[in-house]
Amino acid sequence: MSEPTRPTPPSPESEPSNRSAKKAWVPSKWVDVVLYITAGVTYIGFSIWNKWLLDWIVGPAWLVAWVWGVPALYNLIRRRPVRPRRNPIEAEAST
Amino acid sequence: MSWAAHQFEVYAVEAHLPKKMVGQVSWFAIFFGDFTPDFLAKFWVYGFNFHGKHYGASKPYQWHRGWPGMGISHTLFFGILCCLGIWAWKHNRAWTIGFLLGFSAHVLTDVNDSIGTMLLFPFSTLNWSLHTWAYAATVKGGKYLDAASYYSSLGFAMDFFWFIVVLGSWRVLTRDFWRTKVVPADPHVWSWLGQWLDERGLVALYRSVFFYGVCRMIAWTTWAHIVARPVIDGVRHQGYPWDLSWTGPWWVQHVSLPHVTPLIVLPAALFLLGCVYFVANTIWDRMESGSIRAIAWRNVRRNTG
Repeated sequence: MSEPTRPTPPSPESEPSNRSAKKAWVPSKWVDVVLYITAGVTYIGFSIWNKWLLDWIVGPAWLVAWVWGVPALYNLIRRRPVRPRRNPIEAEAST
Repeated sequence: MSWAAHQFEVYAVEAHLPKKMVGQVSWFAIFFGDFTPDFLAKFWVYGFNFHGKHYGASKPYQWHRGWPGMGISHTLFFGILCCLGIWAWKHNRAWTIGFLLGFSAHVLTDVNDSIGTMLLFPFSTLNWSLHTWAYAATVKGGKYLDAASYYSSLGFAMDFFWFIVVLGSWRVLTRDFWRTKVVPADPHVWSWLGQWLDERGLVALYRSVFFYGVCRMIAWTTWAHIVARPVIDGVRHQGYPWDLSWTGPWWVQHVSLPHVTPLIVLPAALFLLGCVYFVANTIWDRMESGSIRAIAWRNVRRNTG
C-alpha cells in the first residue's frame, strides 16, 4: 500500500495571471545592494556641497527614503500595492 | 567630541551584549541613550544666527562639558537618573538597560578630546580627558571648523576604529540578525513602524544610523581635505592639514577645563565601563519580576478599563 501523497502548494506560475500581475515588485538581493550603494554615493555627493544635509535626521531618512522609497515608487507607478500587507486576510481582501 | 564614533557605538554595543541579554535589549534604547547627551547639549554649542546676531554659548566647551553648564548631560550620574526615570515610568528592562549601555558608551568615548567629561560628577566637577585630539567647537569656527579639526586629527582614527569594530561584528548589520535579535527585543515599536514600511524599509531604518556614520565620516573628511580652502596663519591651504599627533591638530587653539591627570583617565574609563556592564548584568535578572508585574498590571487595567 502506498502512502498518501501530500498535496503540493501551487507554483507561482499556476496562479491566475491577473493576481500575479498585481503583486508588488520585490527587489532581489543584488538590487538591494545597488540601492544601498547608490544611496551612499548620492548622499555623500550632495552633502559635500550642501553640508546642512549632514544631519542625524536627514542622513538616516535619506537611506530609508532611497532603499524603501525607490521600489515603492516603482510599484506605485506600476499601480502595484505599496503599503505592507499585514496578514493573509487583508492581502486577500485587497487583491 | 566624537562624531561618527557615536553612530558606530550603537552597533558595537548591540553586537557585544552580555550573553543573557542578547535579543532582549532594545536597540532603540541603545540609540537614544547614545544620542541623548549631545541632543541635550550640542544645539547651543554651535548656536545659530538670526538677524545678524549669534545666539549660543559664549564658551562652547564650558557649556558642552563643564559645570556650571550642560556638562551634566555627559555624566554617568545623569545617565543613571534617566534610567531610573525610564524604569519608574515603564518598568521595562529592555529600555532601561539599553539606555544605560548607550549613554555610558557616549560618555566614556568623549573622554578622548581635550575637554573630556565629568566622570565622577557629582562627587567631583573635574573633567577626565585623554587629550587625544583638540576640542574645536568655537563661536567663530562653528560646526565646520569643528568638523575639519576632528577629521584632521586622531578623531578620524577614532571613528575609523569604531567602524572596524562594527565591521568585525558585521553580522549585527544583517537582516537575519535584525529579525532574530533586534525585533524580538522591541516587537511593539517595529510592529508600529511596520504599518508604513515593509521589511526592506524596516531593515534600512535599522541600518540607517550606521549608514549615516559612514557617510558623514567620508563626506566631512572629503570636504575638509579636498574641497575646503582654509586660511591658516595668513596662508591659504588646499584642504585643512592633517595632524595625527596627540592633541592635534596644531592649527586649532587648545582649550581645556580643570581636569585630572590624563594618566589615570584610560584605566578609570575602562574600570567604569566594566562597572556599567557588571551592574547591568547583575540587575538584569532582578528586573525581570518588575517587568512581568508591570505587564500584568497593564493587562489588568486594559481588561477592566
